[in-house]
Amino acid sequence: MTGTRVALCSVVVVVVLALSSAVSRAQLSVPDFKSNRSTPRMANGKPDFSGYWKGTTDTKPVGNIGKDLPGWKLPLTPAGEAALKHNLTATIDPESLCIIGGIPRHNASGLPFEVLQGNNKIAFLYWYSYFRLIPIDPNRKHSDDPDPSFFGEELGRWEGDTLVIDSIGFKDEKVWIDENANPHSDALHVVERWTRPDADHIHVETLIEDSKFYTRPFTYSRTWVLGKPDEEIQEYACSENNVDAAHLGFGPGPIRPDGTRGYIDPAPLPPPLPRKQ
Amino acid sequence: MKRLLYAVIALSGLLAVPLAAHHSFAAEFDASKAIRVTGTLSKVEWTNPHIYFYLDAKDEQGNVVKWTCESAAPGALSRRGFKRGDLKLGDTIVVDGYRAKNGANLMDARRVTLADGRIVSGASAGDGGPQ
Repeated sequence: MTGTRVALCSVVVVVVLALSSAVSRAQLSVPDFKSNRSTPRMANGKPDFSGYWKGTTDTKPVGNIGKDLPGWKLPLTPAGEAALKHNLTATIDPESLCIIGGIPRHNASGLPFEVLQGNNKIAFLYWYSYFRLIPIDPNRKHSDDPDPSFFGEELGRWEGDTLVIDSIGFKDEKVWIDENANPHSDALHVVERWTRPDADHIHVETLIEDSKFYTRPFTYSRTWVLGKPDEEIQEYACSENNVDAAHLGFGPGPIRPDGTRGYIDPAPLPPPLPRKQ
Repeated sequence: MKRLLYAVIALSGLLAVPLAAHHSFAAEFDASKAIRVTGTLSKVEWTNPHIYFYLDAKDEQGNVVKWTCESAAPGALSRRGFKRGDLKLGDTIVVDGYRAKNGANLMDARRVTLADGRIVSGASAGDGGPQ
């Protein structure tokens, strides 16, 4: 490759990186974007949440259920502290072992999701080929002793234009409540309040109660943006080829000061090879 | 210029809002162990939740050392222009990444230099790993 072409390559790469940065910044501002498209509605007049919904990179720290708390500090009870320590030091991320993440973890995930809505049911479709199907019926009541499940026993009802999903009956502490290994117990009670303020955004306010592991209820809120018309959930068979499972350590690894998982100061990769002539 | 176009396509794949990974980078790999492995491609598994490809490399004594290379999911790689057909058995490729924390000959293949010189990203975006 001639010096001129090397220089040209360098310029193009710099331009592409600059553009990517610009695009990323544009995506970062998406939640502040004022959509001029009104909320789509069902034939029954209720908002239609159907669509492919994508997180934004300004949801920080993504994957952390304490996102909206000062210092991301969760109000753990002593039992909750012990459960967190157990998760960090003695458990492999359940989701990486293809155990369903459940709620509220899926709401804190960086993965997009898709919603299909009917008059009396709403379906949330997730990567990993998981789904949850929620009845919308104000007359349904929680069971006295629901069989524990990862998404819980979920009941939907409308409060005006807000879809409320009230869930109990979760699995016990084998499940992480988020990607940072925070715990929940079988006493978990989650109330999600979903709205679609315009055509391009969907929003949830989540109340999380767990008297065994948390001293008080706390909330988690988040906004997603509508994907492109041709974007949809694809097959993502979690258990197809889990070579990694035998090599995963306990816990999520280090948590950075910004509340995300990962190393602070990774070693640099070897420099890229010079391109062939 | 074709290679240049490929490089642009590969980089463009990084523009999208990243999907979260199947697991934390730090749960499997050691960020202090940045390595380069050069070897012959012996097997490819274009599977979820990660693709794997296998290399026959050589140590300083000339002995064959087998390496397992882990990358993102097929869908994520395809969208950034890294396709199944880019990995041809028998090709000699160069993989830059990070070794497994448990010391196995397993690495996170974050940068792959293909036999034709193209450089593609194999990173699992959103895994908290080095970007």
